[in-house]
Amino acid sequence: MTETGRNNNIDLNQFNQVFFEECAEHLAEMEQILVSLGDVGPDEEQLNAIFRAAHSIKGGAGIFGFQDMTVVTHVLESLLDRIRNHEIPFSAAMVDLFLEAGDVISMQLAGHRDGAEVRQEAIDQIRVRLQQVIDSGAVVASVDVCNLDKPITENLGVHPESEVPATACQCFEMEFRPDPDIFKRGVRLESLFGELEELGELTVTAVLPAPPEFNEFDPETCACCWYLTLITTASEADIRDIFEFVAEEDQLKVQAIPVNAASGKAPDTAVTEGNCTSQSTCQADSEIVDTAIGRRAYDKNELAPGAFGRRTNEGESSIRVGVSKVDQLINQVGELVITQLMLAQTAGSLDPVVYENLHRSLLQLERNTRDLQQSVMSIRLVPISIVFSRFPRMVRELAAKLGKQVELKTIGDSTELDKGLIEKITDPLTHLVRNCMDHALEAPAARNAAGKDPVGTITLRASQVGGRIVIDVIDDGAGLNRTKILAKAAERGIPASDAMSDEEVWQLIFAPGFSTADAVTDISGRGVGMDVVLRNVQSMSGKVNIMSETGKGTRVTISLPLTLAILDGLSVAVGDEKFIIPLNSIIESLQPTAASMKSINGKNVVHVRGDYIPIIPLYELFNMKARVTDPEKGILVLIDVDGEKAAVLVDALLDEHQVVIKSIETNYRKVDGTAGATILGDGRVALILDVNSLLEMRKLQATDDRSN
Amino acid sequence: MQTGQEFTDGNGKGAVSEYLTFTLGKEEYGIDILKVQEIRGYDVVTHIANAPEFIKGVINLRGVIVPIVDMRIKFKVGEPTYNEFTVVIIMNVLGRVIGMVVDGVSDVVALTYEQIKPAPEMGAAMDTDYITGLGTLNDQMLILVDIEKLMSSEEMQVMDQAN
Repeated sequence: MTETGRNNNIDLNQFNQVFFEECAEHLAEMEQILVSLGDVGPDEEQLNAIFRAAHSIKGGAGIFGFQDMTVVTHVLESLLDRIRNHEIPFSAAMVDLFLEAGDVISMQLAGHRDGAEVRQEAIDQIRVRLQQVIDSGAVVASVDVCNLDKPITENLGVHPESEVPATACQCFEMEFRPDPDIFKRGVRLESLFGELEELGELTVTAVLPAPPEFNEFDPETCACCWYLTLITTASEADIRDIFEFVAEEDQLKVQAIPVNAASGKAPDTAVTEGNCTSQSTCQADSEIVDTAIGRRAYDKNELAPGAFGRRTNEGESSIRVGVSKVDQLINQVGELVITQLMLAQTAGSLDPVVYENLHRSLLQLERNTRDLQQSVMSIRLVPISIVFSRFPRMVRELAAKLGKQVELKTIGDSTELDKGLIEKITDPLTHLVRNCMDHALEAPAARNAAGKDPVGTITLRASQVGGRIVIDVIDDGAGLNRTKILAKAAERGIPASDAMSDEEVWQLIFAPGFSTADAVTDISGRGVGMDVVLRNVQSMSGKVNIMSETGKGTRVTISLPLTLAILDGLSVAVGDEKFIIPLNSIIESLQPTAASMKSINGKNVVHVRGDYIPIIPLYELFNMKARVTDPEKGILVLIDVDGEKAAVLVDALLDEHQVVIKSIETNYRKVDGTAGATILGDGRVALILDVNSLLEMRKLQATDDRSN
Repeated sequence: MQTGQEFTDGNGKGAVSEYLTFTLGKEEYGIDILKVQEIRGYDVVTHIANAPEFIKGVINLRGVIVPIVDMRIKFKVGEPTYNEFTVVIIMNVLGRVIGMVVDGVSDVVALTYEQIKPAPEMGAAMDTDYITGLGTLNDQMLILVDIEKLMSSEEMQVMDQAN
């Protein structure tokens, strides 16, 4: 199989990518089910789902030639199959074993995808342990691979058959009557037979049962059938695996004829004792007879929910599309919206009475384009459950490690946000949950002493508030320790005083390298946590907020924009140029009176409801000609950046739009004070202001002024 | 027009390259034709805050934001006037799309290697570093510009130097 794969010089990379993604999804699904099990055993449905995941990974790995991955999945699959058939009782210890197996497969996956390191001994160990469960029906804690006297061999064609002990050779007689159109489907029989040959000794006889009349003869249809004899140690399931995508159930008949000539053993020793496990996947003899003609044993009950190849929850079907294609679509729809706006502007100058029909159609067009834009934007949105689903396992394992009792609650799993944000929010959330587990939540004894439920609770809550997504990480632990933080800050030379408000004290933990942990553990305490969280969130134009009460718990709130691709903005005019100010940073806009204008060191400030707010004249900052330089004649837009306020002076307010953010850096370099650009209704480019960097520029200018 | 940067003509003479020629003031320049995406008129630009004077701003080219550089200002040749005859050459340089304002676009010419001479140390408004050679065509001198080197240079300030 790998041979043929290599011979065809097709770029398999793109297919591999699909496999990697699917494989990761299957692993995640498996893990999710396993973790959700708790102490109760899985029901039929869940077992089937886990089995399907393992089977799909194995199938995919086989097709794409990652033989090493099939090895582990194969044993896993066999075990799951046994459990499914109630041959081996399910036990709670298996959950951990399966999780570990999942990790090993993940590791192999990472090895293939990113060239990450693959630890062979881990693979061997998990394989042996799974195998032992199959053999003994119970979980063995851990084994040392080195102590095994003989290597476990697998019947997957990975190892050459010479390594397989010459026991239990079986002779299979097969009759293969393919579809007449098999050649049109592009099936290559020679490679198929080649694969069979790898399993053992193969003889192939082609028979033309009913030769057609010469003038009816169609060289592209298959009129042949084949009789094959294979002497092999492999099981029937392995043979059927090879025919998996080629032959329908009724097109392949397999008959097992045990041979004793090769091994000298009794014909009925299908399952051999000792180390040879090559027959372990094979069902008991009676079953082989039962299913000799037909599918694999576990496919017998085809109508049962979750039978192989069927997904019970087909309701949410989906297709896999590259992000670049979606982005292209978003771009094109953006163009369409601009064109529609241009049309509307042109039509606006026409007499509405004479052109009534045109105006009506244009209104319709506007509605349609808006709907279209919304639908297209929603493609990029994915539910946050993708991130949340990875925490149950982490919490479970950390709790066991730390000897704490923790319950994880997730609320608002279906809240959707941009795919790009989902990828970036995972790390910060992981940090926060780890922190909760390690620092915040107390040990059960301490909790009892404090009169709290010994089981601590961590709540992950996501919700949409206006144009933002708010994610809370809440624990009912000890809360932040004010004195400890202040002492640590003093020790590290971070300016802090006892007079600071709680809120200001909590902000201190965002300082790089800050940690109040008494000891560095492998979970946390190195102080590389919170500053990374803050930086990551800020890079997504988000905010982090902390609320904490001693003895009651802590709540960390992350607030993110819904998407990075669009933005609600206010367009303002300065001179001949238009700028967009993000709406979410605007508090209000006002026209100042002469009485409210004050000045400090020659810099203007405006007095608004008791606050003195510095004025940033945009024309000055950007070195351009403005129509208005006197704040009293212009408009002040009050902006709020992390609690810091400023008033931006502009000539006029124009309009409120939803704009598509485009990068200037694609073709140019970064422009200070801007967060990108957008295209307005008239086809012109407008820069989007980045209020954060406006404030920084202002401060920089001020220091420059002073030093001059 | 042939495609491909270099080819041997039918008579079996030396390899030739094709150049788009344009004028800046009184000087005639040439750039590799394969770097040119399109030629268009000068449109209204959006000025970029605190950019050097020769960077006129950015335009919307079918949804793509493209910076416009005026070579006449940068190299202090010709008069930087903008009217319906002002020409912008849109180029693909190092994976970026950049527009360049010139006085006029003249022709596409093919030059053999024999027609290209090394540039002397002085003469053109441009630094000799960015000049690959001087081409001669019917008694006319063409200054051949390495546009990639020019646009990625620090003095153009078009790209972040980290790139």
